[in-house]
Amino acid sequence: MAPEAILSHLHRADGSATYTHNGYCIIGAVNGPIEVLRRDEMPEEATVEVNLRPAAGVGSPKERHLETLLHNTLRSIILTPSIPRTLVQITLQVRSLPDEDSSTGVNPSLTLLPHLLHTALLALLSASIPLSTTLTAVLIALPATNTPTASTQLLSPTAIELLRAKPIRSAHVFAFSGEGKMLLNESDGTFSYEEWDEAAEAAEEVCCREDGGVGLAEGIEVDGREGENLDDWLRSVVRTKVEQEQRWKSAR
Amino acid sequence: MVVLPGDAVPQDALPTPTGKKKQLTLGPGLRHIPPATVASTIAGGLVTDPKKVAAYIESNSGRYLPTTGDLVVATVQTSTAEAFNCTLTPHTPYATLPHLAFEGATKKTRPQLAPNSLVYARVATATKDFAPELTCVDPSTGKSEGLGPLKSGMVFKISLGMARRLLAGSKGGVVLLEALGEKMGFEIAVGRNGVVVVDGGNVKSTLAIGKAIQEADGQALGEKAQKKLADRVLKSI
Repeated sequence: MAPEAILSHLHRADGSATYTHNGYCIIGAVNGPIEVLRRDEMPEEATVEVNLRPAAGVGSPKERHLETLLHNTLRSIILTPSIPRTLVQITLQVRSLPDEDSSTGVNPSLTLLPHLLHTALLALLSASIPLSTTLTAVLIALPATNTPTASTQLLSPTAIELLRAKPIRSAHVFAFSGEGKMLLNESDGTFSYEEWDEAAEAAEEVCCREDGGVGLAEGIEVDGREGENLDDWLRSVVRTKVEQEQRWKSAR
Repeated sequence: MVVLPGDAVPQDALPTPTGKKKQLTLGPGLRHIPPATVASTIAGGLVTDPKKVAAYIESNSGRYLPTTGDLVVATVQTSTAEAFNCTLTPHTPYATLPHLAFEGATKKTRPQLAPNSLVYARVATATKDFAPELTCVDPSTGKSEGLGPLKSGMVFKISLGMARRLLAGSKGGVVLLEALGEKMGFEIAVGRNGVVVVDGGNVKSTLAIGKAIQEADGQALGEKAQKKLADRVLKSI
């Protein structure tokens, strides 16, 4: 199932996105470029601030860790030199998690991370913050089997699929830029270098575009096909946004 | 053509510099990566103007970023010895408006503007490194050309795209104001920072006009729907 996204629905934020996929629902809001506190000001670049609020309870070091990962990844794609001495403030609120998330055996921070990255990116696109490229992210899980091969990999599994495949030996989150460069690589568990390499290759196929240039292809594969191309999905979301903004041109 | 950040715009989609204009001008949303790549930085639709040999990305989201030459509605917050501190958008550094940048202002006769008063000004200088500077006077002639304090009227917020359409005239496809202007008299000041100041003489007319503009913006009404809206407003007055 392809993820769903609604853009620019919060009127008081410069940009916003609600992202829903496989039971994970996250609302992201971006404000910027706005005034930055003197102590955080950087003379030649923009300051990026990420705030993550969990679905239940208050923020803990888990959220701080995810904020650091998000901050480092997003800062590498935001064109910070074009808006110096300003602040780009990204706020992410986890609305809901799938019920089985806590019992999958995989670190819940890892399962949530790709969805957080997508929400943040969509909110940044909604706020028209200058970016050097887009990014897509995916979770790969390697269950414990006697002969782990590429065919036993779980690409972007749902919480139920992870539960059924228990025990999971290792889980990996990869994020790729629009040009195919790896931006984030977080792994957890026991694995060999070959297993990691295969997981990275599979992730690249899911995340990136096959051909070069501006893709004009339409449509997302649904129903059964694992790992539909995320770059195509992102393009279709942006196309919907642009059509929505320009509907006055064709209105009666 | 819909582009995402990082997409390289192909050469044949850009207007070619011919004749007098030798250079291609890149507007908001596009950046030049030497030697020959033009890449997009935001998500939107690519728009080209072959006459001006310019290309830019059209998008109706995000915050207003001050650009030199824009007409804006500024709100005066405080005054220093030499200038007024004004805001163009909330939570951004002040834009300065010098006391002497008004028509007929001298060191002895400065304009008196209270906090929260509105001024229709032009952005004199705006770079990414400094706070923007405003002016209410044409620098070459010294005349105000319609700029200056807005004495009365009510503020309405509209989207940046709608503000650009209103300032674009017939190309913006907004017939609402002409339709209303046939039967009603009102004054309106449109700022590129998404602010519109309407003065309809009385509260009812002012509110009706302002709300009509916001509805035409939010519902993306076409010309026919705008005319119907104008008729509805005129009937209710």
